Amino acid sequence: MTALLGSIIEVARFVAVIFFAIALLEAYLYVHFHLYDRRWFLPACVLAAAAAGLGAARLWAPDRFFELGLAAAMVETALAFGFIRLRGRYALAYMMLAPAILGLTLLIIYPLCFEVYLSFHDLKLTTIMQWSRTGALPFVGIKHFVKVFTSSPLSEVSFWQLFLRTIWWTFINVFFHVTGGFALALLLNHKIKLKGIYRTFLIIPWAMPQVVAVLAMRGEFHSQYGFINITIQRAIDWLPLLGKAGLHPIQWLTQHPFLTCSVINIWLGIPFMMVVILGGLQYGASAFQQFRMITLPLIKPVLAPAVTLGTVWTFNNINVIYLVTGQAGGTEDADIMVSALYKASFSFYRYSYSAAFAIVIFFILFAFAMAWLKWTRGTESVYERD
Amino acid sequence: MNETDARAVYQKALKAHRFRERAALAAVHVGLVFYVLLSVYPLLRIFSVSLRPGDRIISTDLSLIPAGASFLSYMKVLHETNFLFWLWNSLIITCATSAIGVSLAAAAAYAFSRFRFPGHKTGLTLLLGNEMIPAAMLLLPLFLMIMKLGLINTYLGMIIAYSVTSLPFSIWILKGYYDTIPKSLEEAALVDGTTRFGAFIRIILPLSTPALAIAFLFNFTQAWNEYLVARVVLTDARMYTWTLGLFELQGQYLTQWGMFAAASILVTIPVLGVFLYSSKWLISGLTLGGVKG
Repeated sequence: MTALLGSIIEVARFVAVIFFAIALLEAYLYVHFHLYDRRWFLPACVLAAAAAGLGAARLWAPDRFFELGLAAAMVETALAFGFIRLRGRYALAYMMLAPAILGLTLLIIYPLCFEVYLSFHDLKLTTIMQWSRTGALPFVGIKHFVKVFTSSPLSEVSFWQLFLRTIWWTFINVFFHVTGGFALALLLNHKIKLKGIYRTFLIIPWAMPQVVAVLAMRGEFHSQYGFINITIQRAIDWLPLLGKAGLHPIQWLTQHPFLTCSVINIWLGIPFMMVVILGGLQYGASAFQQFRMITLPLIKPVLAPAVTLGTVWTFNNINVIYLVTGQAGGTEDADIMVSALYKASFSFYRYSYSAAFAIVIFFILFAFAMAWLKWTRGTESVYERD
Repeated sequence: MNETDARAVYQKALKAHRFRERAALAAVHVGLVFYVLLSVYPLLRIFSVSLRPGDRIISTDLSLIPAGASFLSYMKVLHETNFLFWLWNSLIITCATSAIGVSLAAAAAYAFSRFRFPGHKTGLTLLLGNEMIPAAMLLLPLFLMIMKLGLINTYLGMIIAYSVTSLPFSIWILKGYYDTIPKSLEEAALVDGTTRFGAFIRIILPLSTPALAIAFLFNFTQAWNEYLVARVVLTDARMYTWTLGLFELQGQYLTQWGMFAAASILVTIPVLGVFLYSSKWLISGLTLGGVKG
């Protein structure tokens, strides 16, 4: 009981600290937005910032006393000029945005910059103690970027294998998500009884917690006690001829991990596409001609963003592959780039190498996204939408 | 051709047409029932495993309600593991994360919806582009930061790691909803003497309860079902969230399969209930954000 109470107090205190920080930020903005036109505004800002910088340095970094004071004053000068230029306009907009911007800066932009820093330095298990004590790391240039292309992120699989497998994985998953989702949506689009009940049951793979869904499906692929192999075994027992024809239980998880992961991920992803497509469908169009001429153009504005999103999600999907193959001694035959990145970071502890790898992956994804955007914009202009 | 002949031909054609229609409808039902079975079967099987008696947890039995069904596995998972601790950890982390995420998003989305400030368009594009950053890419520097701050194995570390992951998406959903609220409502309030912020608090927020609920739910499910970040930040079994605990139970596949199944059922049922109950709104929120992008 005391443990529970303690944890509530701990978290509540933390949330209070966050809201206090937000209040400080808002006060800062309020003062700057309302006093920008006073004659003493600029000098007061610079002096106050310098004082705050020196005070902070005194508390946390005594060896960089004057640098911090100077840096604070300079940053504040630049900001103050910004406030003077804005002349108090958009005060409310920026004040409402500020907490979100601060959060995103601290937890997304700063980590990304840190990642770039890491990729040019050398952080691994042997240097991590030194880094956490002094904060200094040896500079190694582009060594890690070279290693990304020449050595394996894990123990065997190469970068180019991962690259091709990622493309293949993304393609087949999205392809089956869309076709499966389309097929189910077309079936559901008839005027039938029990439609709501069908729809509810069909959503279940998506609605279940993903960890439970993946682990449950993984169980069904178990070589001895999984549903698939039990069924195969029973079919053979029932009709021995099948066994002689070459049917036998299969070691799914160890011999066909990629297939297993794909099947599970396709099963997981179909309901989302089904729901999206169903939302865009109209009654009545079912014959092929109608399908091509009416249904597809109707569905396109809904489908295009869903496919874009689905592609990015599939490309970045670690969950399924990690949960199926991630345990110690797991196979590498199912890994795509992001799951290899996760394993390289947190199973192999190759931090700097992983940072370089992550940056390479990011640029690959970025290039694909640009090409895709260009292509969809190109097709969109044919329809002259909007 | 006389009239009776024509009528007979017509009747025949109608009959054939009706038959075909009925056959098509039957085929539709067969297809749907087949896929429904495929969707639900793993869950049903987990359920049946969770009911198996202690000495028959591992078997090739496929029946839905096993012979000698019992709730033994449920008792065991509640008494012999840290399951309740895991649920509690998940709950407290998730609630704090969602509260922070939704309040930040509610304010930011209003700014994006009502003001055309410098950086408006860039901001929205960046929020959407953020979706592209691989989670594993952000996780490494975040983990190192959390480690350096000494927040490994703490709620705070988890809340920090989770708090902004759903922020961009929530902002998009809420902005889309605010856009549908007519500006004249706020203008009327302004005439009556409130400030702009007062109008936001007293008019926009109460009107947006459904969208806020969607955003909260989205934040909640994201954090509640998260596994990969938790695995890195939490190493102490008492601090685990339920996803980590479940994976651990499943790790020792053969011995604890029954407990794994029981725990899965216990966490799945509430999540499923909430999701199915709210799916209509959740989906409209999803497509709204998507289409407007």
